[in-house]
Formats: sequence, structure tokens, C-alpha cells
Amino acid sequence: MSPQETVGEEFREIARSAVTTAQQVGAQEVAARVAKVREVGVQWRDGQIEQVTESTTRGLALSLYVDGRFASVSTSDLRPEAIAPFIADAVAMTRTLSEDPFRVLPDPTLYANRPDLDLEFADADYKNLSAERRRDLARTIEAAARAVPGAERILSVTTSVSDSRSEMFRITSNGFEGERIDTSFWLSGSVTVKDSDGRRPEEGDFAGGRFVRDLGDPGRVGESSAHRALARLGSSKAPSRVMNLVLDNRASGRLVGALLAPLAASSIQQRRSFLEGRLGETVGSPLLHIDDDPLIPKGFGSRHFDGEGISARQMPIFEEGVLRNYYVDTYYGRKLKVPPTTGGSSNLSWALGPESQAGLIADAKEGVFVTGFLGGNSNGTTGDYSLGVQGFMIRQGALAEPVAEMNISGSQLELWKRLVGVGNDPYPYSPLRTPTLVFEGVSFAGV
Amino acid sequence: MLTTNGSLPLTPGSVGPTLGPTYFSAFGVDERLIREALSAALSRGGEYSDLFFQHRVAHNFVLEDGSVNRAFKGTELGVGVRVVKGDQTGYAFTEDLSLESIREAARTAATIAEGAQREAPERFHVTSGLPSRYATERRWDHVRPEEKLPLLTGLNDRTFSMNPAIRKVNITFGDEMSAILIADSLGRIVEDIQPMTLLYLSCVAEKNGEREQNTYGVAARKDMSFYSKDRLDLMVQEAVDRTMILFDAVQPPAGEMPIVLGAGASGILLHEAIGHGMEADFNRKGTSIYADKIGKKVAHPFINIVDEGTEEGARGSINIDDEGNAAGRTNLVEDGVLTTYLHDSISAKHYGVKPTGNGRRESYQHPPMPRMRSTYMMPGPHKKEEIIASVKKGLFCTNFTNGQVQIGAGDFTFYVKNGYLIEDGKLTRPIKDVNIIGNGPKVLERIDMVADDLAIDQGGWTCGKDGQSVPVSQGIPTVRVSSITVGGRSDRS
Repeated sequence: MSPQETVGEEFREIARSAVTTAQQVGAQEVAARVAKVREVGVQWRDGQIEQVTESTTRGLALSLYVDGRFASVSTSDLRPEAIAPFIADAVAMTRTLSEDPFRVLPDPTLYANRPDLDLEFADADYKNLSAERRRDLARTIEAAARAVPGAERILSVTTSVSDSRSEMFRITSNGFEGERIDTSFWLSGSVTVKDSDGRRPEEGDFAGGRFVRDLGDPGRVGESSAHRALARLGSSKAPSRVMNLVLDNRASGRLVGALLAPLAASSIQQRRSFLEGRLGETVGSPLLHIDDDPLIPKGFGSRHFDGEGISARQMPIFEEGVLRNYYVDTYYGRKLKVPPTTGGSSNLSWALGPESQAGLIADAKEGVFVTGFLGGNSNGTTGDYSLGVQGFMIRQGALAEPVAEMNISGSQLELWKRLVGVGNDPYPYSPLRTPTLVFEGVSFAGV
Repeated sequence: MLTTNGSLPLTPGSVGPTLGPTYFSAFGVDERLIREALSAALSRGGEYSDLFFQHRVAHNFVLEDGSVNRAFKGTELGVGVRVVKGDQTGYAFTEDLSLESIREAARTAATIAEGAQREAPERFHVTSGLPSRYATERRWDHVRPEEKLPLLTGLNDRTFSMNPAIRKVNITFGDEMSAILIADSLGRIVEDIQPMTLLYLSCVAEKNGEREQNTYGVAARKDMSFYSKDRLDLMVQEAVDRTMILFDAVQPPAGEMPIVLGAGASGILLHEAIGHGMEADFNRKGTSIYADKIGKKVAHPFINIVDEGTEEGARGSINIDDEGNAAGRTNLVEDGVLTTYLHDSISAKHYGVKPTGNGRRESYQHPPMPRMRSTYMMPGPHKKEEIIASVKKGLFCTNFTNGQVQIGAGDFTFYVKNGYLIEDGKLTRPIKDVNIIGNGPKVLERIDMVADDLAIDQGGWTCGKDGQSVPVSQGIPTVRVSSITVGGRSDRS
């Protein structure tokens, strides 16, 4: 957090008094979290404002440990006369459950050694973004979209400017206390174009950051949105066959997310993970090399402590294709009899390759450059996946005609062993920070 | 008292003096507060304004490793203020129901307009005589946990006793009571209490060193009586059968082929292929593939598709929509011709038609927009057996997990969890885990056989749009799609 900003005392008091109240009505251990989020958004469409929204939401969440039993509750009704009965009801509800010897607060030694570096979460100039400035940014994105060659095919442009500021304070009855203030700012453009056969493909782009000054260039967002949409014109389905897959860094999060979910200790313990029992085993090609890194300044997944209060640290997930760690929280760690690591991913830090996206496309020679997924799913228990895709054919190392209405299918265990290229371009707007990825031998379905 | 039937506190057809808010009077909401809030909302000349008060209490109980060892409870209280000027919307909300705080939200939403103060209504009319589509004996927030928990433990025991291959059973029981009050600048006040319950049973089985997992779930706007012995028996049987059959299942071959969709859950095809594209906001903006197709033939003449909110206790049913409009039945396709979009009040005004009762929202934190309720196809002239027998090589799909659509391009997908290969008109090998992708208008044209066995699925379907989730239902008779891309495995290099 920024050293100059801390959450208000009134805020801390709500959490502290909730812990006391819960203990008075019979909870032995308690974790309380109070949060407040302010969000402002402007949506602009075809020359005028479509919608303005502004809101502040707030809430109290409690984890209750009562006579060996556990429940978690939340409320947005923070009237003092409402909080006390809410907590009393919640403790009574917890008493109706079965005992669960695995459910405890984290070992307090895991709260120690919290990193104290400035992760640059919060922009102190947050309030300086005026309504007029938001409107100008939204208007500029549209103007840039409509200025590209081919813009006469554009049917509609929707743009948005949004920002948020959240404050959080958390305290537990066994010694944890932590707080966080963060801000973020986003620009987006979405462009619908008219195809000759009546289809109206839509594409877009966005940019953002934790600080107003990192907002990016609205003109570039507008241009890129229009270029991406116009590139979809005349798309068709290619024949079904096994091909190279070059995956746009913006889109690859979908596939990487499907690889991360089975790493959760809950999935392992509940036998819903195709990666169970594979610690130390090779599950991908040597290019699959990822650290979990919570300490990247301005990172969208950065944190000083995780949701349970465990102090953040870097941790290898895959090293040259070998699985090194699971995401283990206190509860499932106790069930599995392994020490907790952290309950979920923060930022991913990839071992990057030397080449740009264009270089990887040139090297692939033939195949499909996938720019987006549509629906589909991945079975975390078996590793089988089947996902809708769109993108462009790669012919002789260059992007060719657009393709749509296609699918890729297979097993994740096979897929990650076929990772043959990693770009130098981690996607900055997602905590997964995925570079362009290249896989060989992927099964595509089309005509 | 308003706890007896869960719908409106007023009796149908009641007349007489305005009674004002009932449920929300306990939170200090009265006509004076409503009038002053609307006055602030109209302070800059907005053409229309409404307030959406909501109090929601939800519980989840989870059984894992043999016992109900965790519970979650959430309470939400708030009011959203919307100000409309033409197609433009200002929106703000607050979780503090004091007049001061609501006024501040209202003044924020008011900034969408730039004009002189308009007057708030002098008098309000409380809408009475709403339908009663989800009568419950008791509100869910009045049912004690002790009454709910035996459901979960009973299901767990029976699932394990069904098959020795079962290794893990997870059960989630959820219930919700949502009270809403809508008041608007036309002087309308309407209240509703909307119940919801859901039950998911998921199991993991092991056989010859392999593992498979599947889920069966049901949801309804009903009370505990929904969980009859027959329903629970069916849940256990289905969850185990749907899991065990996966050990024999394969991912099918890739490419275009005919598919037969089983009655019920296959309604997901309608939700994605046409339902979203018919939501009038996309058409008003010209961004839907159906934008200029009203009155045009889009399907075979025996095809009729509706969206309605009227079925007793269905997950997608509503007595009124979240703008206070009646939620009746809307015909999307009549005799193969595209007839009516799904409207909220903004799009209805834009098109000069009556709202269709499709203005829905996730909660007081969001403005309403056109959304589906229960979307299904009416029965057709064919028989299920003749439809399956007509396919030489294709798929029969029965269970689904999720779907998605691109409104403008029309491409949509749905993910098949269970089904069979059809070979020479007969069901043969089970299939699993395959995504199917098609283009909405093209696939509608290719629905060339429709059976007479319409079923509305009772699964816990949730529809997401622009970051807002709402509960929906869907259904369909057995149908044939003559050709669509199956995302199976290709062996051609």
C-alpha cells in the first residue's frame, strides 16, 4: 500500500467490534474483514453517453469458528442495530453444523515476515479524474475507432472509462491484522462491423493500470478495437485437422486458467484433479516454466498477504515442465497433511522466450493464430478439454484469412507437452501475465 | 402478514386507499421518502426515474467428506436509483437507506440529464393483484438449518450405497429470500417476495485407476416441499448414472455432422442461438445478428419459440420484472417467423411497443436490461424415435454444462457432458466432454425435426450478461439439427 494512505479508524472499529461481538456470543475464533469499494463508470455509444454509474458498496464478512464448527457470513447491512443480531444468528447457525477438526485459523507464524515493499497499489490522485475527463476519454476512443481505413463498415462503437478504489481491513482473533487500499483505471472500446452476409462481428480492446497516469492512450485503444473488428470480416470455417496453434497473449489466460484450477488443494483432496500425485513429475515441455509472484509492483494479482493472512512469497509452480507446487490453503493442507503454501494464484511470472508474436507466427509457418475463445470447458478431473476458437489461418509464416466457428479438443496432459514456443510479451492487463504460446499437434474441428 | 404465500401482501383485486410499502416499511421506507428520493432523481430534468429497493437473505450449506461442515450466509440491503433520458441512463446505489444517503445517490444518477427540475408524483398507486407464481408455506429465511441438513446427509448416504465405485460426494444446498420494491416517477409502487432454492449433487468415481466426476442439480422458486422423495431418488440415480457412464465414454470425432438434442436441458441451444440475439438492447444498438429480421422467416413453419415468466415455481419465473412490469409470455418465433424482441422499458419506448416484462437485474447494484426468463420451443410434429432413427452418423446430446454466444457474429457454443454416438439410426457408444459450435440463424434454419415431448429443464441455470447474473429456465422437445460443428478429436494431419 502507499505509505501515505491508511484505512479509516471507523473502518477498523467495525471489524474489531464484530470480532468482540462474535466472541461474546460463543465463537472461539473469528476472522473479520471490512471492505468498501467505490466504482465510477461512463459508457459511451455512437456519439453520446449511454450510461453513467457511480456507486459505493461496503460489507462486513466474518469467518466463525464455534465449538469445532465453521461458517462464513457476510452482510451489507452495517446498521449497528442490525449487525449484532446478524452475528448472533450466524453463530447459532454454525452450531447446527457437524464438527470439523480440520477447520482452524492459520498458524500465526505464517503471518510473520510480511513483505514491506511498496507494491504501488493505490493512486493518491484517484479523485482527480473528473467527469469531463472521463467523457473526453470515452469520446476520444470512439473518434479514433472511426478514423481507421475501412471505418465505413462500422455499425456501432461502444467505449467505456471506469475506475475503482477499494479499501479493506482484516483482523483475526489469533493475531493477524492487515489492510489494503488499491485503485485501478480502465479504458475499453468495442466495435461492431457489418459483414456482407448479414453477420455483425464485434471485437474490441482495452487498457488499464493502477494509476491514472498508466491509463494508456485512448487513441490506440480505439484504433486497435476497430482494426480487430474489421479483421473479422469474411471469416469462415477451416477443415477439421491437426495443426499448429499460436495463441495470442491476450487470449491465453483461458487455457492457463484451466491448468491452474486443478492445482488447488481442494481439487486434489476431493480427487478432482488430473494433476494429483504429480509433484516432481514432468507434465509439460521444458518451456512450461512459471513462478507465482505476488510481489510485482502495480501487478493486478500482487499482494502482501493472501486471503487467509499468510504472508506473500514467491513460489515456483512449474520448472522446465516439472510440477513443483500446489496452491494449498490451511484447511485442505490439514486434510492432506501437507503444509499450506497459499490458497490461490497471485501473478504468474513466465520464463519468457526471445521472440515476438510476429516472430513466433513466422516460425510456425502453417497453423492457426487463435485470438479468442468461445465457450467450451475443461474437465479438471480428467484433463479433457474442448473449446470454441476464432482467429486467423497462418500460411507461409504470415497471417491469412480469418476463421471462426471452430473448436480445439484434446487432453491437457498432452497439450502442455506440445508447448514449443513462448513469446517475449507477457500480457500486462491480467494477473496471469501470459505471453504468446505456441503448441504443435492440436486437434481443430471445423468443416 | 406477508409470509403465507411469498408473493404480494395484497389480495388480488384489492381496492381502496393506498397502503404504501409493506415489507420495506420495517426499513423506514415510506411514501414520503420515496417522493423525496424521486424528486432528487428528477432534479435535472430526467424523463423517468425509478427506485429499486432490495433485501436479500441467502444461505448455502455444503456437505463434503460425509458431513455438513460449512455454511455461508449473506445479507444484502440496498436501493438503486435510475434516471432515464431517451436511451441514456444514470445509475447509482446505496446500502444506507437513510433519506440523506438515497438523495445523494439520486443526485448522482440525475446528472445524466441537464435541464430543469421535474416534479415527483404527488400520489402513489400500489399495484395489487399480481399473479402468485411462487407461493411458499414459509419464507426461506424463516426455515431453520436443522430442517435443511437431513436432506444433505440423506442424499450422501444413498449416493455412496448406490455404487461402490463412488469415492467422493459433494452436496450444496442453497436457499434465498429476495424482497423487492419498485417505485417510479409514474407513481407506481410494487412489492414482491421472490424465493429460490437449489440443490447440487456431485460425485467422483474410480474404476480401473481412472477417475470421472459429474453433477446433477435442480432449482426452483419453491419451498421445502420441492424436495419430494421422488425428486431426491431421481437426483441420486441421475448423478451416479451420469458419472459411471463416463468410464465408457469417448470424445467423438471432429467436424460437421447431424445432432439430435434430447428434450429438456438442450434448451440451452435456444438460449444461445436465438434468445440473447433477441434481447432488444442489442437490436436497438444494431449490434445483434437479428437486428433487421423481425417479420422474416428464420425457421421451419413448425417451429415456435417463446420466452415467458409464468410457469408455477420455475427458476426463471417472475410475478413482475425488475422494472415493475407484468411478466407474461413473449413469442420470439411464430410458425417459423421472427415476431417479438425481449424488451425492457427503454427499448420498448425506443421501438414504440409495450414492455414485455424482460427488464431484469442481478440486484440493486445494477440497472435493469432485457433478459430472458424461461425460454423454450413448443412441441412439433415428429416423434423422438423417428428423429434418432433418421440419423446415419451423428450425436445424441442429453446433458450440458455451459454455453456462450457472440451476439453480432451469431456464433454460439454449448458444452456437452453426456450423450451417445448415433450410428445407422441407433444409439451406440457414450460420449463426453465435447463443445459444439454453430451460427445462430444458420442453426435455426437447420432444425428440421421437432418432437412432441417438450420438457422444461429444472436445472439451476444462471445467465450472465454485462457482468450481471440472473436465474433462467430453458426447455425444448427432442429436435434434430441437420448439420453443426462438433469439437471432437481429429486424426487428420
